[in-house]
Amino acid sequence: MPEHLRFEDFTVGRKFTFGDHLVTEKAIIDFALEYDPQPMHVDPVAAKNDMMGGLIASGWHLCALAMRLIKDGLFDDQTSLGSPGVDEVQWRRPVRANDRLSMEAEVLEARSSKSKPGRGIVRFRFDLFRTDEAGKRQLAITYTSPVMIRKREA
Amino acid sequence: MFLEDIPLGHKATLGSYTFTQENIIKFAREFDPQPFHIDPEAARDSLYGGLTASGWHTAAAWMKVMVAHRYAQIASGMDATQENYLSPGVREMKWLRPVRPGTTLTYTTEPFNKKDWPTRPELGLLLSMNEARDAEGKLYYSFVSQVFIAKKPE
Repeated sequence: MPEHLRFEDFTVGRKFTFGDHLVTEKAIIDFALEYDPQPMHVDPVAAKNDMMGGLIASGWHLCALAMRLIKDGLFDDQTSLGSPGVDEVQWRRPVRANDRLSMEAEVLEARSSKSKPGRGIVRFRFDLFRTDEAGKRQLAITYTSPVMIRKREA
Repeated sequence: MFLEDIPLGHKATLGSYTFTQENIIKFAREFDPQPFHIDPEAARDSLYGGLTASGWHTAAAWMKVMVAHRYAQIASGMDATQENYLSPGVREMKWLRPVRPGTTLTYTTEPFNKKDWPTRPELGLLLSMNEARDAEGKLYYSFVSQVFIAKKPE
């Protein structure tokens, strides 16, 4: 955690870049065996022959990893008070074993809560990028979500 | 079964998932380590007044019951479609109530629209409203899923 960010820090248009996470084949398979056991996520041999051309991570695994990168790189234990939901998730490109993941966050909106003085609602766009073994970096998933954020003076 | 064969407006029950203190903490330690998801004592003093499941855990559990439901249909010969289901993303994810340890959510899905996908004319997109309710019928989570389904060959 570089700094203890609070509502006052999330001004509209501000961008944050953070995170570096290596995706392993074991992690892809372990997540999918528990939550998304489709052949393309759990069976490297079967996955080779289907339209994705090899094992890919579950889209839900990518959402969960994005959350982990946000918690490690943007939010401390007190920053977020939770989220009422996600407007839209787009799964743009598959993530494969040995890809490295990184994040960009942009503040789209920030407004103080009228009823709850100690917090505000910040709407973020979160982009998760994959960098493959050849060094090519591509957008893997993008989503927009409002998050309740604690104020500094609270 | 092809896209054309899927009726709109028919709600199907996918299955149930029970959230326990153990699986809530296990998921959150790996993907969403905020105090109200991983630490029962700190959670008591939080906005939520107790431990709650990560919203991404609630989302991943939908995928788990969805995959089990589809494979049961395939095994029973009711549905002979593709084994892998690809999606460009989801919309309008709403985490409406905190999910506590001991809560069993039953997930349902109801197709409500079909769309063409210009770059893949052999596929169409099936849009469905998905809900998760407890035994009393209280709504905890909802979202719109979008899944590619093969169209009838010309």
